[in-house]
Amino acid sequence: MTFRTAVLILSASWAVSAALAAPSADAVERDLGRRFDSAVRPFLDRFCLGCHDKEKPKGDFDLSPYLRVEDVVRDAARWEIVLDKLQTGDMPPKKAEQHPTSAQNVAVVAWIQELRMHEAKKHAGDPGPVLARRLSNAEHDNTIRDLTGVDLRPTREFPVDPANQEGFDNSGESLAMSPALVKKYLGAARRVADHAVLDLDGIAFASHPMRVHTDRDKYGILRIVDFYQRQPTDLADYFAAAWRHRHRAALGQPRATLAATAASAKVSPGYLAMIRTALDAKEDVGPMLKVRSMWRALPEPERGKPAPDVRKACEAIRDHVMALREKIRPEVPNLSVPETNPSAQALVLWKDRQWAANRRTYDPALLQVDGVVKEPGKKGAEAESYNEVKVRKKKKREADPDLAVPSEPASRARHEAAFARFAALFPDTFYVKERARSFVDPEEERANGNVGRLLSAGLHNQTGYFRDDGPLYDMVLDDAGRRELDRLWDEFEMIASVPQRMHQSTVYFERTDSRFLSDAEFDFARAEDKDCTSEAKVKKLADLYHAKAVRVGASPLALEAIKDHFERVRRNISRVEQMARDAEPKHMEALVRFAQKAYRRPLAPEDRESLIAFYRTSRERDGLTHDDAVRDGIASVLMSPHFSYRVDLGEPLGRTDVGRPGPRPNGSKPAGVPAGAVRLSDPALASRLSYFLWASAPDAELLAHAAAGDLHRPAVMAAQARRMVQDDRIRGLAVEFGGHWLDFRRFEEHNAVDRARFPAFDDALRQAMFEEPVRYILDVVRADRSVLEFIESDHTFVVPVLAKHYGFPVPQGASNQWVRVDDVRRQGRGGLLPMSVFLTANSPGLRTSPVKRGNWVARRVLGERIPPPPAAVPELPADEAKMGGLTLRETLAKHRDDPNCAACHERFDSLGLVFEGFGPIGELRTQDLGDRPVDTRAVFPGGSEGSGVTGLQAYIRAHRQGDFLDNLCRKLLAYALGRSLILSDEITVRDMRAKLAANGQKFGTLVDTIVTSPQFLNKRGPSDLANP
Amino acid sequence: MRDTRDDTSAAARQLRLSRRTFLRGVGVTMALPWMESLPVWGAETMAGDVPTAMPKRFAALFWGNGVNGNHWWAKGSGASMELGKSLEPMEKLKAKMNFIDGLFNKSATGVGIHPGQTGNLLSGVPLLKGAVLKGGISMDQVLANRIGQDSVQPSMVLGCEQPITGYHESNFSMAYSSHISWQSAESPVPMEVYPSLAFDSLFENRGNRRAQSILDRVKDDAASLSRKVSGSDKTKLEEYLTSVREVEKRIDRARGDQSKAVENARGKDVPVVMMKRPDNGLPEDIREHMRLMCDITALAFQTDKTRVVTLLLCRDLSGLFYPFLDVRKSHHSASHEDLTDGYERITRYYCSQLAYLAGRLDAMPEGSGTVLDNSCLLLLSNMWSGNRHDSSRLPILTVGGLGGALETGRVLSYVDKPQPEKKVCGLYLSLMDKMGVKLDRFGDADTRLVGV
Repeated sequence: MTFRTAVLILSASWAVSAALAAPSADAVERDLGRRFDSAVRPFLDRFCLGCHDKEKPKGDFDLSPYLRVEDVVRDAARWEIVLDKLQTGDMPPKKAEQHPTSAQNVAVVAWIQELRMHEAKKHAGDPGPVLARRLSNAEHDNTIRDLTGVDLRPTREFPVDPANQEGFDNSGESLAMSPALVKKYLGAARRVADHAVLDLDGIAFASHPMRVHTDRDKYGILRIVDFYQRQPTDLADYFAAAWRHRHRAALGQPRATLAATAASAKVSPGYLAMIRTALDAKEDVGPMLKVRSMWRALPEPERGKPAPDVRKACEAIRDHVMALREKIRPEVPNLSVPETNPSAQALVLWKDRQWAANRRTYDPALLQVDGVVKEPGKKGAEAESYNEVKVRKKKKREADPDLAVPSEPASRARHEAAFARFAALFPDTFYVKERARSFVDPEEERANGNVGRLLSAGLHNQTGYFRDDGPLYDMVLDDAGRRELDRLWDEFEMIASVPQRMHQSTVYFERTDSRFLSDAEFDFARAEDKDCTSEAKVKKLADLYHAKAVRVGASPLALEAIKDHFERVRRNISRVEQMARDAEPKHMEALVRFAQKAYRRPLAPEDRESLIAFYRTSRERDGLTHDDAVRDGIASVLMSPHFSYRVDLGEPLGRTDVGRPGPRPNGSKPAGVPAGAVRLSDPALASRLSYFLWASAPDAELLAHAAAGDLHRPAVMAAQARRMVQDDRIRGLAVEFGGHWLDFRRFEEHNAVDRARFPAFDDALRQAMFEEPVRYILDVVRADRSVLEFIESDHTFVVPVLAKHYGFPVPQGASNQWVRVDDVRRQGRGGLLPMSVFLTANSPGLRTSPVKRGNWVARRVLGERIPPPPAAVPELPADEAKMGGLTLRETLAKHRDDPNCAACHERFDSLGLVFEGFGPIGELRTQDLGDRPVDTRAVFPGGSEGSGVTGLQAYIRAHRQGDFLDNLCRKLLAYALGRSLILSDEITVRDMRAKLAANGQKFGTLVDTIVTSPQFLNKRGPSDLANP
Repeated sequence: MRDTRDDTSAAARQLRLSRRTFLRGVGVTMALPWMESLPVWGAETMAGDVPTAMPKRFAALFWGNGVNGNHWWAKGSGASMELGKSLEPMEKLKAKMNFIDGLFNKSATGVGIHPGQTGNLLSGVPLLKGAVLKGGISMDQVLANRIGQDSVQPSMVLGCEQPITGYHESNFSMAYSSHISWQSAESPVPMEVYPSLAFDSLFENRGNRRAQSILDRVKDDAASLSRKVSGSDKTKLEEYLTSVREVEKRIDRARGDQSKAVENARGKDVPVVMMKRPDNGLPEDIREHMRLMCDITALAFQTDKTRVVTLLLCRDLSGLFYPFLDVRKSHHSASHEDLTDGYERITRYYCSQLAYLAGRLDAMPEGSGTVLDNSCLLLLSNMWSGNRHDSSRLPILTVGGLGGALETGRVLSYVDKPQPEKKVCGLYLSLMDKMGVKLDRFGDADTRLVGV
């Protein structure tokens, strides 16, 4: 049994159950019955059964079993074909012996139409058989995207979903399940779970798997670096903001506060205040004097005139500050211990900390007393104890007036204090984003190409990260920013086990490259051992390490640093392990939240319990780690039919009117619910709406309405629909509805173009071709334009590669920048019809195909039903250049001479011939590939003539607009409902047409009508339980 | 219809639990899947009493920092092949071995030493320096994706030394020194270093057990949802439930086959394979560690649990010590004196790991030959000389004939060939080809290696 017959049986049984609801129709039915016996049945006997009888019916179309009206009702879809054939005059065929009179024909046509309308009215509002169904691949991908925040496309390797008879892949009629697919679902669910980040207080998802250390490092590092780079740390911005605040009156904002100025300049208000204060402070000596005078010399704005551009000048102040800052930066020597490698962690991290502690200090020894330049040297007794090995190589220093201070003690002290204030205000850097090896001269490291080591501690051959962002933290960030940054670091350290790995790495390094730990007494410490980072082993190592350092003669400072280092290691490991323990219950809560979001409804207590029980069993029975158990929990949620299926549950009986839960007196239905139907539950309705408009899950706002129970109110539905149309996710409608309706959904994989003959056709052009109708449809939907613009308009949308293909001026801008172009009719474009995606998809490679192009217009745009070609049709040559003497047009004309072919081809050949001005990849042309001039004239069905796309558009406008609108209404309704249409939907289609006409044919009217239609709001009641 | 399976699956859960406990204590005992007299693997691998074609297996064994070049050579062919001192462990198996010399990986040259010479050894693509890793999918994972789907685990990626991170002075991440197996350009395959866990993942079907737990839960959800809906919706949910059950059944069947094999073998004087489950934690002695990993690989191949194994015996920049070879320095430090006797002993030691694994596989009859005859073991390092860090010439051995597809007992030298004719990626293309995975290009090669 095919799906189609299944649907019809369901409709028929619906008819039985609902028939009692319309007793007044008896008279009509008696009349239809009489006319069936007197006119229809005799017509069949006389004109049809000669070919379409039980024995070998032509076209497998047997008309013998229709003995009563009920038989016809049951096969309504079949009789639509009969209707179509009689209306177009295709049947009986010309060669038939007998032909009905026009009156006979009209009588039968009228009878079928009346019967259909009668049946439709009788069951108006029947929600129809909407089957439970799995998410389509596209819906699955979109839902995962909205659930995780990352576009992971887990269905990439699933088989393509089949479409239903309306051409859409979102219905239970066509979406089947199989063991092979379950296996793929499982693999996909586990892959998604691999992306989970079990962070400090919940679960996030990364764009890459999170299975190995390097994945976790990458995730944590990039988030921190991204945070740093978002912060306002360009001093030039602050000087400019301070200038704007100083001249706020002249700039027309006399009331602007400093905070408001900071906000509009996107700089830190706190730090701007510090700078503004310093620039106003009365200082008579020191480096701020020059800074202030440079700042004060910025041009003054004049009232009523455009503000002068001070950016360049502010950059100059910044550059001066930074250059001076660099000259007075305190040097930090390396700390060393005999027999150790300079990259020993205790020593390198000590140096890192010295640096970090001195970001806002300066070295007075670098000032030039009375202008005398001193060569750098050791700094007395303290320096000796550093065991200094390698100080940054200094360039030869020169006399520098900016560094000059007087020797007179009191005056010198005042100068030094001014330098101290300057250094405190302008740190040498706000944060350290990357660091090469700390113990090697930075310039040498730059020459080595050692750049890009994000957040590195500057160790050699060891894992090591170091946080150095004090000035940013203290001066630029507000409380929220500080919390966020602390959190990012905590999170990084926890998910990547940073202190543990750093310590393991020390053990490895010092036993191999460094050899400091190569003595037998250190053999207990092995980086591979799981307890390498246990408190006991860290302590033991610390003691032995320290003892050895004493033995080899380490300085007191170095010994102190070693002690301090191991103490920090111990504390850090303990802190991070504690964070991990604290996070575990939070991951459980997050898993439950994840399930609720995934199931698109409030969780029932049993949902929650089963999920938690699953986690417990995984850990306790199966011995999984917390991480693995949570990941399996995520995978199980994604495998659950609550996620992967859409089951439209009805509202529990007894619920009252909209928004007021509680028992309804006498159990009556709310108004507007047709007989035999029940209202969809609120969460089911939210999903129906979101999968219609977004091809994805409902968002929080929609679910909040579902929870509040007011989604069934027409005003709320309409308002939500309008909101959702403006959301980016509306692209789901353009791609999934538009793509299937117009048959370009899989064009991104279109491979029929011979790229050697059409080198212009590359992946970028193919992608742009696919995107053009998507952009166009999106624009119609979002701007609520007339749907007639699908057929006719003077604009389209292009990216540079498509503009080039169309011969438009190539717009300036990025290669992925889409722009609207107007006035394109002159170049043969505008509207959907001449888009290259359709012209290319309907060309078989090296020639065009007026047949395919015309068939596409007839079927997809105008909604005609055209049977597939018979099996024995001769193939046309594949290459236009090899057509022999005839043009394609002449060959087709010959084909139509055969009456067997003519019946269909007359309906669409002409619709395709008008596109002959476009080649196989939709390019404009005047000659075909055989160098024959192209001819775009055509005689359309019905006899009118026209040429080119404008000719076709005029023909549609004059003769076929109704067909187009009808088709669009039907397709959109079928897509929205997730099922093929049934007779009773005719009433809604009529309603859509009427409202369109009354509202300037605007697209939004269609959405409004659909989402408030009884089919959309309800589902069939439990009566279909009785069905086989 | 009431689902009576719930009861049985509870019982099955019990059974799994007890089986697990049993395995924990003892290890595995199992019969061989390919024994002609023992049609136990069901119709999928047996056509009547005749097993279908033997599966082909592939293992890559890696060690870092190169060989002692004075003793890494082979001459002649077949039984009369002469071997350098470091290759002596292969003496008995030389007829089943190929000595391949002179190949190189272009992307691993001219990029500084160590990590940049290692992370792309099996992928042939350039690596990215700095904080974010980027390489390419490795050939073992290409194989796993294509032929691994037929076995319990698509592949096993094992290591005897933990991966490390941090920066090398060449500014490549040290992670490249630890990972030669990559599942995508961005991510290495997690490497299992614990023999006990590697064992569990295979013989306890750990992956399948987890899948089964998930499916159990899905079944519960589908059944409870199904109770809430009517007629046609029920049918659709039933379709899901049936599919889920079918997948479960397949998993069960694989598990059942194994117990059936043991049962069938009992009392029939048929050889069975036994292995004790390795202890938790890491073996203290690296020799023990490597032997266990080789044993697990051998058993996995013999029982067809997986067909692709990548075993990192030690990292590049390895910190392993070899007191039993009388070498005081760690591996990496020792390799800087690559021509010493000490480093020759280290080289020979790694060759002996290959010999051990190959010997085990060769002692396992299968069809008319041995498991080794249906496999290809590839032993390679990332450079020739640890002192010169010379990656323009890779030491490579293969053992095993891939069911006759790979001719053995040969010395293949590409040392004097021009660069385009000595690409190691060409060798990978050839080997994948012989395993039934035909690619047009891989890494920097678009032709198979001539002469393989």
